[in-house]
Amino acid sequence: MLDPESRSVRWATYAVSVLGGAALWEFAGRRANAAVAAPLSATLLRLWEMIETGELRASLGGSLALFVAGFGIALLTALPFGLLLSRARVLRVALSDYILLVNAMPMVALIPFILSIFGLEMGAKVLVVFLFCFFPVLYNTIEGADSVRPELIEVARSYRSGEWAIWRDVMLPGTFPYAMTGVRQAIGRGLVGVVAAEFFLSASGIGQLLMTSGRNFDTAGLLATVLVITLLGVALMGVGRALEDRFTAWRGLAG
Amino acid sequence: MKRLSQSTPLVKLAGGLLVLGAWEVVVRLFAPAYVARPSGIARAFPQALASAGMLRAAGVTLHAVVEGLLIAVVSGTLIGLAMGRIKAADRLLKLYVNGLYAMPMVAILPLLTIWFGYSSAARLATVVFASFFPIAMNAADGARSVPAEYLEVARACRARWSDVWFGITLPSSLPYLLAGVRLAVGRALVGAVVAEFFISIDGLGYFILFQSRTFHHDAAFVAVLLLAGFAVGMDALIGWITRRHLRWYRTAASAA
Repeated sequence: MLDPESRSVRWATYAVSVLGGAALWEFAGRRANAAVAAPLSATLLRLWEMIETGELRASLGGSLALFVAGFGIALLTALPFGLLLSRARVLRVALSDYILLVNAMPMVALIPFILSIFGLEMGAKVLVVFLFCFFPVLYNTIEGADSVRPELIEVARSYRSGEWAIWRDVMLPGTFPYAMTGVRQAIGRGLVGVVAAEFFLSASGIGQLLMTSGRNFDTAGLLATVLVITLLGVALMGVGRALEDRFTAWRGLAG
Repeated sequence: MKRLSQSTPLVKLAGGLLVLGAWEVVVRLFAPAYVARPSGIARAFPQALASAGMLRAAGVTLHAVVEGLLIAVVSGTLIGLAMGRIKAADRLLKLYVNGLYAMPMVAILPLLTIWFGYSSAARLATVVFASFFPIAMNAADGARSVPAEYLEVARACRARWSDVWFGITLPSSLPYLLAGVRLAVGRALVGAVVAEFFISIDGLGYFILFQSRTFHHDAAFVAVLLLAGFAVGMDALIGWITRRHLRWYRTAASAA
């Protein structure tokens, strides 16, 4: 049983954390020049205004659509490709080092190339988000395939398992948890890709909102947008963690 | 199976040639002439590496990345250890550290340019911001994982405060800390490049931007390769340190 004393103490410290942070923000915002920082109250007022005018919803919708498109295509291509490589061992050995290299490369560095080849089309931005998401999923799926012990496949073979049974009972349970780690990483990177694409390709969505409020020295608007993006990041990260935890329970069985 | 593992380097070489060949063919067939392709990059490589502009840009960017990483490692370790060992510190800071870790760091750029101006200070701030949170979170995880017996023995022997923190807690959270630094290196590089795009200051990111705007894609891609090389090199270095100096970690973990 939880000690009620410690529970109330715990909630008290969390409350101090939230209220203290809010007070600090308010105080610092009031002291500072209005062009440099805005107090929490002004930020929340501006946020409410952005919600009421529909400005926020339109930007958020645009960014989310971009995220879903890039992330979705990445999932639909990286997972099958990763699974293919997980059975085709020669191909996996041949390519895995290069996939590792590309996965470690800072993808943002490719944005100028995409800009000069594809210009300001919507497709270019989807391509950026796709590239940010594709490699973490692929890389982790392959890592999962490497973790499947060859003996498991041999045993399945010697019991005359067909290709389908090997997939269902050995390969998928072995690789899927790793793929989910990749999905979590891809969610985080994809969000960076969305904002980067909206900054450096044709301005739109949340990225545009950040840029214009920054340029107009609308610091309250800028902080409000940053706050929204932070909440979005936390929510998406939570989804990613939940997915990963849901499937890592398998790892003990398959590994 | 055996034959395959014996011919592994050959298979890898074949894989590399396959990738480069496919790239070359696709670009030649479908893309405009200025688009980077392996043969062009190979030709541009010695020239770009010898050019003063590229070397200066690489130096500036890597300097900012290393400097920012050092700041983030020192501050992130201190904050992370405090969060891992002191409950009150954890509860006070957790919300902010977790939240800012999940935020896409690019989003902070407009704010940082307002605070630090369109200068190299804003780039440094971006690098620190990008790398601080993974380090702090991992240091906190590491400090939480310190075996309770160590701390009990230390207390029983009336160990000094500084010994408990820097003689026990810090060394035994090192594997976690290094994993955090590994994550932070990638984020720091992204941060530096993105800041250079945004602020247009000298560095590898700006070099890439400028060269690709003027359709020198091959030269620009050499800079991308340098960035990737730095990322992989740092990763290998940290992996080597972990294996060489923290060998106890694996044995301790598998014995537990």
